[in-house]
Amino acid sequence: MTEDYTRVAAADELEPGNGMGVVVDGIEVALFNVDGEFHAMSNRCPHQRAPLCKVGEKKINGEKCWNENRGGFTDQPAVTCPWHLWEIGLETGEHEASGKKIGVFDVKVEDGDVLVAI
Amino acid sequence: MASQDVDPQREVPADAFDERIIDLDFHMNPPEETLIQYVEDDVAREKFENVEYGMAHRKAKWDAAWAIPGGNEGLFTQGRAEVASDVKLAAEKFAIDDPIVNVGINNAPTQHNPVQKNAIAQAANDFALDRIVPEDLHCLMMVPQWDVDYAVEEIHRVADEDGIVGAYGWFGPFDLFGDTKFDPLFEALVEHDLPLVLHGSLSFWPQDTPYGDGMLTWTEILGFDWPIHAMLTTVNAIMSGVFDKFPELDIVIEEGGHWWVPFVKYRMDEFYEMHPGDIKMHPRLHEMGQERLQRTPSEYLRENVYVTTQPMAPPERSTDFEAMLDLSMAEDMFLYSSDWPHQTLDPATWAFTNRAFDEDLRAAVLHENAEELFGI
Repeated sequence: MTEDYTRVAAADELEPGNGMGVVVDGIEVALFNVDGEFHAMSNRCPHQRAPLCKVGEKKINGEKCWNENRGGFTDQPAVTCPWHLWEIGLETGEHEASGKKIGVFDVKVEDGDVLVAI
Repeated sequence: MASQDVDPQREVPADAFDERIIDLDFHMNPPEETLIQYVEDDVAREKFENVEYGMAHRKAKWDAAWAIPGGNEGLFTQGRAEVASDVKLAAEKFAIDDPIVNVGINNAPTQHNPVQKNAIAQAANDFALDRIVPEDLHCLMMVPQWDVDYAVEEIHRVADEDGIVGAYGWFGPFDLFGDTKFDPLFEALVEHDLPLVLHGSLSFWPQDTPYGDGMLTWTEILGFDWPIHAMLTTVNAIMSGVFDKFPELDIVIEEGGHWWVPFVKYRMDEFYEMHPGDIKMHPRLHEMGQERLQRTPSEYLRENVYVTTQPMAPPERSTDFEAMLDLSMAEDMFLYSSDWPHQTLDPATWAFTNRAFDEDLRAAVLHENAEELFGI
């Protein structure tokens, strides 16, 4: 495991329940705030390359849909893709039904900054 | 292809924004209270204002919501477009330049009362003319196929309005279009140069039958019930001589699958060429005095039928994908569709990231076939 962490955001930039897309060493990374705990994984869903960082984005007329936001998080814990609701484990990067996996990255918060190790 | 610069916010590859993309299946869902304002029939409007419109209450044997996280969330995974500006905002995110809008009242053919259904079709079409077309969006008019006389009347009323590029109906467990009762409908469509665009409805294999009751999962019903109806609708129209009598008629099958094209192509020709003796017994061909179809069945498939691509469901290997596209006559028959905002949304990523697509095929599927078919 690399100790080469890169600062990607201030912790208070990302509200709980939302995602943020960042680029680290040319790699797209999705950063998530799940109830105050930060997670990071490859930004592209293994299904059809949807940008996972869009999780939590408000839908068009979201107040008139069953859920107001695109995708979300489950208790597994998993992120639910904003396109087709594929559930991808936050710790494993795995989608159970297909067995497909994407990379997950170590995250830490120091002095109010979120750091990711690629 | 130009290199892709890295942008984690982008929903589709950067190159998609440089290609014209016409989307054949983009659903708009105006609020019911807005649609009701357009209902002209006083009796129907009074009922809509005071009684909930929808399925008659009965025991549900299957519901798509049971398969989807969040249940009925599946119908609106991306949001809900109620006005033209919503459509434009949503389309822009996915690099869709020209969404061919339908108002998405797919439970209309499952309703029983013809007064109610005809009122819905009329209101949807007037809504489209008043709220969608003036915003420079192309639109499909709704065709009340359950009432052919009214359908013809509605086509003559609406078809020549600017922005109306096709007629929206449904394939499914309804009267097959090979029935000669639909000839006046086809005649009106040809007269106004409107393709007939058939979408799956909210009706599936009829319940209370061994087949209908036997299917309990999303994969069986949405994945295969619609394509089976789509195949039968297509083969029925060809074998009943619809395209011999109306060679200028084009039919688009929306959300009915597309990989069945090679199966239908070869099997249809094989069976027809083996034993074509009953063709002359079909009422339409009997009336036309034809012993045989005028062309090989698969020629009608290539020339008069189109299929939409959502969900593409490609094979893993690009060489397999390329072969399937070739066998499926994709360069002639495929029309891109997103199905926004539903759970099987299909952005056109595959056309830009998979080596199965060269420049010509990409252009044909994403816009050229639609440009030619709809004159846009």
